[in-house]
Amino acid sequence: MAADEPDESARARAVRLLSGPRSRLGVTVGPSAAWILTLLVAPLAFMVAVSFFEVSSLTYQIVYEPTLNNYRSLFDGGGAIWNTPFVTALWLSYVIATVTTLLCLTLAFPLAYLLARSGGRLFKVVIFFVLLPFFTMYLVRAYSWVLMFGPGGVINSTLMSWGLIDAPLGIFNYGVPAIIVGLTHAYFPYMLLTLYASLDGLDFSILEAARDLGASRVEVLRDHVIPLTLPGIIGGSLFVFVPSVGAFITPTFLGQGKVQMIGMLIESRVAGTYSIGYASAASMFVLVSIVGAMILAFRYVSIEELGGA
Amino acid sequence: MATETSESTETAGATERLVGHQTVERLLGTSLYVVSGLLLLFLWVPLAIIIFLAFAENAVTIFPFEGLTLDNFRLALRSDSMRASLAGSFTIATVAASVATVLGVLASFALTRYRFRLREVYRTFGIIPLVIPGIILGVALRIYFQNLLGILPGFATVVLAHSLYGLPFVLLIVSARLYTFDESLEEAARDLGADPLTVFRDVTLPVIAPAVGAGFLFAWIRSFEDYIRALFLTGPNTDVLTIWMFSRIRQLDAPELNAVSALIVFGIAIALAVAMNVGNVTGYVAGTVTEEEG
Repeated sequence: MAADEPDESARARAVRLLSGPRSRLGVTVGPSAAWILTLLVAPLAFMVAVSFFEVSSLTYQIVYEPTLNNYRSLFDGGGAIWNTPFVTALWLSYVIATVTTLLCLTLAFPLAYLLARSGGRLFKVVIFFVLLPFFTMYLVRAYSWVLMFGPGGVINSTLMSWGLIDAPLGIFNYGVPAIIVGLTHAYFPYMLLTLYASLDGLDFSILEAARDLGASRVEVLRDHVIPLTLPGIIGGSLFVFVPSVGAFITPTFLGQGKVQMIGMLIESRVAGTYSIGYASAASMFVLVSIVGAMILAFRYVSIEELGGA
Repeated sequence: MATETSESTETAGATERLVGHQTVERLLGTSLYVVSGLLLLFLWVPLAIIIFLAFAENAVTIFPFEGLTLDNFRLALRSDSMRASLAGSFTIATVAASVATVLGVLASFALTRYRFRLREVYRTFGIIPLVIPGIILGVALRIYFQNLLGILPGFATVVLAHSLYGLPFVLLIVSARLYTFDESLEEAARDLGADPLTVFRDVTLPVIAPAVGAGFLFAWIRSFEDYIRALFLTGPNTDVLTIWMFSRIRQLDAPELNAVSALIVFGIAIALAVAMNVGNVTGYVAGTVTEEEG
């Protein structure tokens, strides 16, 4: 408590400020609330507004006259609605994200279960090996799959040099399967950690009791394990599904121009022609579907459980 | 099920079932380990191949193998653009994570200690930067800065965006810690005459410090590895490592890329090993920290 003399007055002021409950609330809530309002709420609100305004293609300035042209252009492609780039990309994104989520769920459950039942050394070692890829840069992980896939990629060239195949296999070329593998690799740890947090709180003696009373393994899983870990399942699915829908890096690298997901479409319209009206309107659809998924999820889980806390 | 079988076959049936039971149990246990082992392999093989290729003459595939070398590392470390972008990313991540940590710690206190109107709304909006797709946040902030506020993208805009992105990580981890914090410790210190600042520095901070550190680490890594937000929110004069890497991956022939990637994996491995032994990071990540462990 050896505060310097000049600091004393500032310190006294800080102490006085922190003494009243009102100002204490202001000091703690204020900064982050200001951040959220100016850097999250305002930009999103502005984006909603931009989606209803025309943007000059010459000056990139916004013409503040309400219009629905941006939304119309999403579904205009000179053909059927489902053939427009926007609808195709959005639909493909949902399909890829759904498959990725289901894949992560089925793969992560056994490992999470094993981790929850075992403790000590094994746990620490395994969790280290799971966390390390998790903390490794997303870009590096996506790049690692770029090397794995492709006609001359590691998988194909290894199989060929072992004499197992004669020509590169199409399934190991870039495309939708490669994207799903890449996304699963990228978001798998989110699912694992959320599932683990929820399985860890599970009382395993309940399962033993149910088995003793004659329930089969499937019945125990269906009637006890899954209902009791539902918050983890839903939370983990949300953590995998939402970023997968908006993925950009993985489909760009592992699609190699053959696949367009919604994130890539939005990026190309902004980076290419600065069509922010189109991009904003397209983003609204993604945002609405994500908000819908979250509202659905929050009927079963509270937001604290989602954080794995 | 056992009760439905008749008396006479009961004993024989039970023995048979017991043998079957043990075999099934062992099979299930083994397959659980096998599946888990394969999963770890799936997580690790691509990274192992990057590390291997970093030391190989051939940059993009294993066969035909052309020999081992350290040239890739020399090339990577000698590249000026790589060093500049690495330094740029370090600065952005450090400033953004520091801001996020201060905001997040304050917000965690508000959420765990005080009741106020719109608290649930506040909490939800505090988590949204984590779940909103990066492309949407990036584009929204770009339009907002450029078209509404007239600020061109650059260092400040990307730091602001990343500090918002890092906020939920700090908020979740630190508030989880504060929920389990015994507030009577603070009361005791206050009763003994300590002012709020002293209580925070001498009583509260030491207890929550590991959680604050874990939150900072998370926010830092998220900022460091971000590409899509940085893409929209940096100008030509801001160097970012992910943007440097992205352009080289697109060209698909950059031997130094494997070396940079390998160095990142090594760096993260060391940081993580230290963090796990010092601060129980796993506990914070998995949300299993209890009063005793913290």
